[in-house]
Amino acid sequence: MSGADTTAPDDTTRAGGGGSGPSGLSTRLLARMIREEWRLQAELFGDRFALFPLVIAVVAGLGVWLLTVAGTSIDAVAAGLHGLVFFFGLQVGTIGLVGRDALRDVLGDVTLLVFSARTLPVTWRRLLGVFVVKDLLYYSGLFLVPMAVGYAAVALSAGQPAGTVALLWLTTTGAFALGVGTSLTLTGVGTRSRAAVLALVAAAAAGILTGRLDIVALSPYGFYLDPSLRSAALGFGPALALAVAGPLAFQPVESGGARSAPQRYERVRSAIRDDGGVATRTLLEVTRSSGSVWKVLFSMGVLFGVTVLLVREVARATTLAPSYGIAVGTLLGLGAFTTYSWVTQFDSAEEYLRLPLSLSAAFAGKRTAFLVLSVPAGLVYLVGSLVWLPPAQVVVGAVVFPLVAVYVFGITAYVTGFAPNELLFDTPLFVAFGAALAAVAVPLVVAALAYTEAPTVAVGVSVGVSLLAAAVGVVLSNRAGPRWQRNLR
Amino acid sequence: MPAIETEDLTKRYGDVTALSSLSLSVPEGELFGLLGPNGSGKTTTIEILTGQLDPTEGSASVLGHDPVVDPLAVREAVGILPEREDPPSFLTPREYLQFVGDVRDLSGVDDRIAEWADRLGFVDTLDTISTDLSEGERQRVMLAQTFIHEPDLVFIDEPLVNLDPIMQAEVKDHMRDYCDRGNTLFLSTHFLEVAEQLCTSVGIVRDGELVAERDPRDLDPDEQLLDYFRREVEPEGATGGIPAGGATGESGR
Repeated sequence: MSGADTTAPDDTTRAGGGGSGPSGLSTRLLARMIREEWRLQAELFGDRFALFPLVIAVVAGLGVWLLTVAGTSIDAVAAGLHGLVFFFGLQVGTIGLVGRDALRDVLGDVTLLVFSARTLPVTWRRLLGVFVVKDLLYYSGLFLVPMAVGYAAVALSAGQPAGTVALLWLTTTGAFALGVGTSLTLTGVGTRSRAAVLALVAAAAAGILTGRLDIVALSPYGFYLDPSLRSAALGFGPALALAVAGPLAFQPVESGGARSAPQRYERVRSAIRDDGGVATRTLLEVTRSSGSVWKVLFSMGVLFGVTVLLVREVARATTLAPSYGIAVGTLLGLGAFTTYSWVTQFDSAEEYLRLPLSLSAAFAGKRTAFLVLSVPAGLVYLVGSLVWLPPAQVVVGAVVFPLVAVYVFGITAYVTGFAPNELLFDTPLFVAFGAALAAVAVPLVVAALAYTEAPTVAVGVSVGVSLLAAAVGVVLSNRAGPRWQRNLR
Repeated sequence: MPAIETEDLTKRYGDVTALSSLSLSVPEGELFGLLGPNGSGKTTTIEILTGQLDPTEGSASVLGHDPVVDPLAVREAVGILPEREDPPSFLTPREYLQFVGDVRDLSGVDDRIAEWADRLGFVDTLDTISTDLSEGERQRVMLAQTFIHEPDLVFIDEPLVNLDPIMQAEVKDHMRDYCDRGNTLFLSTHFLEVAEQLCTSVGIVRDGELVAERDPRDLDPDEQLLDYFRREVEPEGATGGIPAGGATGESGR
């Protein structure tokens, strides 16, 4: 993508042929990108990924059913789904569109249409815009439709009108678009000025905290709550504006012969006391890739925000007063999966198989890098929550979070090795991984909810479960090396 | 003792046989070239000999180590330059070579880096992020990581790809000099003229089988390695296949 010509003459006057206009060109690009995506997934994962929507529908249906059985109102579930989908959109935008290197490194040696700006008379902005639409359609079909189907199965039997269920699909799609658009726009602005990104985030945070920014009204969830013309404009407007602003703001980074201080490697290695070098190189790679360490902080922040909102919704919708500390610690720990994908993004197991280094040593280095990146990022938010949470709750969160993160590292390393993204479309792998996470998440969430009635027991159980999970994580991460060594040879 | 010895080495992927009963012996000090068409089993051979892949059948010995039983010992002792491998995108050449030095537990890494950067002409880009290097510059860094620990045996898959003519000549000289000092080099290439100029022995593989082995210096004066190669890899009566000149940049497993 480097060198993509953003100032090229208007591609609509040169490309397309056959007398088609700009929309014709975009439509054809979109059709080809969708076909390309389908073939890419089929090539990577065979036909197994076609089962994925079914799994999503079943998991969503079960989840909604369990929540309603536990006394959560269907309206609270709908609110939570909007939050989750928005979060998912943010993640998709962050991972998939953080920049040219992320696209290249996530997708490897694959030449995609979105890379064509250098060789075809099509502008980068058009390609990126079409790429975003393709992603929206693709994820909507594969995730959001099945999720709405799963929700509908429970909601209709609970007496929800069919129109509301259909509305949920529309507004969750909007929430997903809002998430992707937000990520993309922040990334796009970031290619011009990092200070501007910080200013935008700070302004949004200030607006939310002071109550001047009504995030519900300015999101598709606002339209779900109050279906009217005004709320449609208010709710979907920001998502549309951001989806347009992102590609417009994006400025491909030219290859600039970036240099580094000669002693950087040694300094990092000494600082973390890394003998093998794997942790050092991983930290350097993550910090130099698009988004640097900020992407870790950003994804943790999103998780933190969503968790706080969910806990608040549960507290509002029920008579429970769940433990923020346990809930936030658990979700931040589970969300460290994203950090795992970043620390394994820039190398491969095959590379280590060519060096006199066991994969066990490689995974040990990855674990160090993973903890160095994720633990401080999560603790930033936990410490920040001291503003409104009692210290005892924060301490519990600060204990649960790193222990769950160690578990997540172990299970991810053991199940996926150096290719965590395969989880996305490998259904059996996804189910196994989801079950392993649920085995720890469910008792912790129950403990968070039970905090109302028995705070001491809830804290004891959550710390105990987290310690046990961390021990399992350590065992699994130690076994990941030999397992993958066998599999790859 | 030969540097490399294999007996009936076979690798199957389901119904596909990538390598079939490969038996060869490469003495120390040899510059051995493994030649063959795309998909003939050259890269698979290197991956088995360096412990990256296990054979389905057969055995191998590399500098006295069994790559199946002790792959780390093999990789400690040898250098490997895979085909189409770049240094990590977000490390500088210096950092990558420091990392290789750490993994190999080398002493005097800074001096070694300086020496190889000077020899392969990347002193000026030592601290440039690799993603901003040209393909030729990246190949030089990969060559440096192959030789930086002064191994007795090196496996190289297409050594000259992306290098300019001057650097190609220097690398060829280095490989000759390396073997003259008693070291062994196992080369896989499509560039027949490179094999003709450098190798003291070549093996030709076709469909996973070693079909011929000879010293290219023993060819008849009016015979070229390309003619010999054609005879061995093309089925009788077939025409075409290998283009005149014989040198291609294509790759295959």
